[in-house]
Amino acid sequence: MRRLALRFLRRDLAASDFRLLLIALVIAVAAMTAVGLLADRVKRGLTGQANWLLAADAALISDHPIPRAYLPGNGQAGLLVAETATFPSMVRSGEQMRLAAIKAASSDYPLRGKLETSLGVVHAPQAGQAYIDRRIAEQWQLKAGDALKVGSKTLTVAAIIVREPDAVIDFSSLQPRVIINAVDLPATGLIGPGSRVNYRLLVAGAEADVARWKDGIHSRLQRGERLEDAQESRPEVKKSLAKAEQFLQLAGLLAALLAGVAILLAARRFVQRHYDSVALLRTLGASRRQMQQLLLGELLALVLLASIAGGLLGWLGQEALAYSLRYWLESSGNERLPAGTPWPWLWASAYALLLLAGTAGPQLLALTRTPPLRVLRRELQPGLRLGAQWLLAAGATLLLLWLAVRDVKLALLTGGGLLLAMLASGAGGWLLIHLLLKLPFAHWRLALRPLARQPGLAMVQLGALTIGLTGLCLLTITRNDLLDGWQARVPANAPNHFAINIQPDQVATLTQLFRAQGASAPVFQPMIRGRWMAHNGQPVNPAAYPDDRAQRLAEREFNLSWGDALRADNRLIAGRMPAAGERGWTVEAGLAKTLNIRLGDTLVFDIAGSSVSAPVIALREVNWDSFRANFFVTGSQAMLADQPASMITSFYLPAEQRPLLREIANSMPNVTVLDVGQLLAEVRRILLIATQALQLVLGFCLAAGLTVLAAALELNASERSREAALLRALGATQGRLRRLWLTEQSLLGAASGLTAGLLASGTGWALGRYALELPVGFNLWLPGVTLLAGALLATGVSQWRLQRLARSSPGELLRN
Amino acid sequence: MLNSPQTASPLLAARQLGKTVKTGTEQLTILHDIEFSLPAGESLAIIGTSGSGKSTLLALLAGIDQPSHGDVQLDGQSLAALDEDGRARLRGQLAGFVFQSFQLLPDFTALENVLVPLELHGVADATARATHWLERVGLGARLDHTPRQLSGGEQQRVALARAFAGAPRIVFADEPTGSLDTATGAHIADLMFELNAAAGTTLVLVTHDPKLAARCSWQLQLQGGHQIALHPNTAPDGWPA
Repeated sequence: MRRLALRFLRRDLAASDFRLLLIALVIAVAAMTAVGLLADRVKRGLTGQANWLLAADAALISDHPIPRAYLPGNGQAGLLVAETATFPSMVRSGEQMRLAAIKAASSDYPLRGKLETSLGVVHAPQAGQAYIDRRIAEQWQLKAGDALKVGSKTLTVAAIIVREPDAVIDFSSLQPRVIINAVDLPATGLIGPGSRVNYRLLVAGAEADVARWKDGIHSRLQRGERLEDAQESRPEVKKSLAKAEQFLQLAGLLAALLAGVAILLAARRFVQRHYDSVALLRTLGASRRQMQQLLLGELLALVLLASIAGGLLGWLGQEALAYSLRYWLESSGNERLPAGTPWPWLWASAYALLLLAGTAGPQLLALTRTPPLRVLRRELQPGLRLGAQWLLAAGATLLLLWLAVRDVKLALLTGGGLLLAMLASGAGGWLLIHLLLKLPFAHWRLALRPLARQPGLAMVQLGALTIGLTGLCLLTITRNDLLDGWQARVPANAPNHFAINIQPDQVATLTQLFRAQGASAPVFQPMIRGRWMAHNGQPVNPAAYPDDRAQRLAEREFNLSWGDALRADNRLIAGRMPAAGERGWTVEAGLAKTLNIRLGDTLVFDIAGSSVSAPVIALREVNWDSFRANFFVTGSQAMLADQPASMITSFYLPAEQRPLLREIANSMPNVTVLDVGQLLAEVRRILLIATQALQLVLGFCLAAGLTVLAAALELNASERSREAALLRALGATQGRLRRLWLTEQSLLGAASGLTAGLLASGTGWALGRYALELPVGFNLWLPGVTLLAGALLATGVSQWRLQRLARSSPGELLRN
Repeated sequence: MLNSPQTASPLLAARQLGKTVKTGTEQLTILHDIEFSLPAGESLAIIGTSGSGKSTLLALLAGIDQPSHGDVQLDGQSLAALDEDGRARLRGQLAGFVFQSFQLLPDFTALENVLVPLELHGVADATARATHWLERVGLGARLDHTPRQLSGGEQQRVALARAFAGAPRIVFADEPTGSLDTATGAHIADLMFELNAAAGTTLVLVTHDPKLAARCSWQLQLQGGHQIALHPNTAPDGWPA
């Protein structure tokens, strides 16, 4: 029996339908392995980059000196440790004084990422030395070797800071940075009881060791102490990272799903080809169980082959891509991508098995029910509920989509697009062919008759072609529209600076300074500090919130703003913006969800000693990617306009206009300007890596789309062969046959192309609009292009495939 | 009642065998109460015009179709008592088949086609046995040829080798010469009867060729699904009975 199974496998490997099955599965495994491996490696690499933003793999942050008990203990010798203490203090140079953010760091700082200074990439300064922010250097014209007094300690300026790994946006430490060595800290005399110091214990090392260290201290944390890792440290980076991963997974899965359509079609042909073999084997005494074993064995061998070949292909693809991306990965502070694990490949193989089971399972099971009587009555074949097959395929597709993106909405939208393509192309194409048949063109009627005679098959062909083209078009849109839309979220001129602490009477001067430089004046927003006191009459108790983030949010002081108009980068999702004279709060939807705030709730904030109470009248969604100043909570003008406020603004400043910063620093020492260009560069880099990765996936999708075309032709190859034989026998010339097929296929391709273009534009628009929240329009030119492309592709592939049939002699065709 | 080849232990027996099919809203009986017994080593020709129910009867006798009523006893085993897999097992143990359309696997070579039933049932020296039978039917030099590379007659010889290689006790042949020209058909018939005689196999043959039918020891004639005659053959025109 095993030998017979091997014999069947060997012979099937030579059959075109089986090869198409294999090719489709290889493509599916390769695409998913490549995407999975790449996503995993890039994610871990980017987590490394995010760690770079933390200067460590994890940090323990505390408002009091860090207890020694938290230091990695015995058995954790592999972990690197550094400590920093950050606090605001006055620094002096000669007679000049200003507020600065001092960071006292131990010698190993930073553990991750690079501290770039005018000396190059360095660690913390040596004892007695200081690195200073460019702003201080520019303001006071300081250079290396000059003296700087920090508290009671005089230090030598050793270098100017170019880039600091963990320069977080933290409104409490917006002053320009001065980094000193931790050993000089006691001598400054700046730290005493009641000092506002942010202590950090930085830890880095192997993933498992760091995780163990975090687990070890997590339960021992006291008030004022918290753990942070890269994922939590930067919501902007985290969001970009998650989106990049989701995007890649989706693209990879599109390739796999296209391959799934090819599998579905090729499996039908495989099944049709095996009816006779199964009937014969059953007649010769094979039990149904034996048939199931035979087929299952063959399919497992198929998946195994596909898994090996696809895994190899996927690994090679992503390896090549990782190599081409090395410049970007290295330039952002990472040495190289972490090595891949076999998990993505194993998952891809499991997905392929699921794909095969979903798209071909019922057909193959039905095959084992072929009645032995078929050896005498060839018209007999097992009942094949195609509807059930399509339903199962749709279910498997949705499951795969969900497994890949873990987002029901996105899975349903993408799956819906594909399903719609199938239904619409079947019905629409069929209608189109009927219309064409009614036209007074005899040649068209003759050409389309084979399709009209077998509506089911015609619909499958139309569906396959349409889905293949829709996939390709979706990618066209993905590459051009979705990516453009995505990148447009972080435009090249996104603000790269924030200026805060601006007094209302300085707005006019600042605006003039910008205009004088030829820069457009930024928009100023009022910022008011307020503490959240009560929620629906109940005092706010941070400890009552179950999760840490909610506790932190409830505990800290809020930056409030006011205004009655909805800003362009905000979207109203519930309620309405305040009317003139109305009192009310508007709350960012994410925060509202975390803190369990609902529309209509009453919130009380303590602002400068007085309580301000009002209902929540609107929930807003904020596009944080815009990098503009945004607020979790804003109040109506009528309620907050009279409160003491400073102004905040964000603006884009190109490198050549940097002198403006010195002017601001000199003329308005109280104003703090924060450079967020570095953070922006990180987010943009993630986008670039994702864009590059998509190129690889596109290759797999193209291959899968072409496999669908080939499988659709393979499906009716024998019918066409018989028809060709008859027509040739009845006197049709090769040229006539070719012309007939050319007409049939070009009309079929054009119908599919038109449908595909419309569907892809619609799906792309829906995906962008509702799932990815990107401003993508309906692509109007696409249907025209796909009409032509469909006709050309279908005729091209079919002529290549059918050329042989047209040339064969009628006798030969009839004999086969 | 018509004469019948009754023995104490027949290899094949039909009892009140009938088949009714549904055509639209009507029931159409295509076989009525077939009744006979065939001893081991005998040969039976089922004859009749097109549509008389010959192939249906063969399918019921071989257990590849199920009767609407009545039963078939194959080697003392009631087919009605068996499920599809049970019948398949019994076929695998006892029967060989020859079909009008040869029913060879198109992608398999001649040798592999003969190997199929042997490997299906785990026969130890399958390759040697298959080669022997192909040599026996004169295709020793064509072992690696696929059906596409063989003529119709050669394909039917492969089918004969496949039918006899498993040492069956009974061979069911459905119009074995029906797709062949007269001369080739005659050669195939000679070969089939020769192999049958040499192996002592029981043969059930469906044909509309009187000459071929006359070479069997018994003839069962069908007309409109009715068994109108069942009789032993004499030896007409010098053919052995």
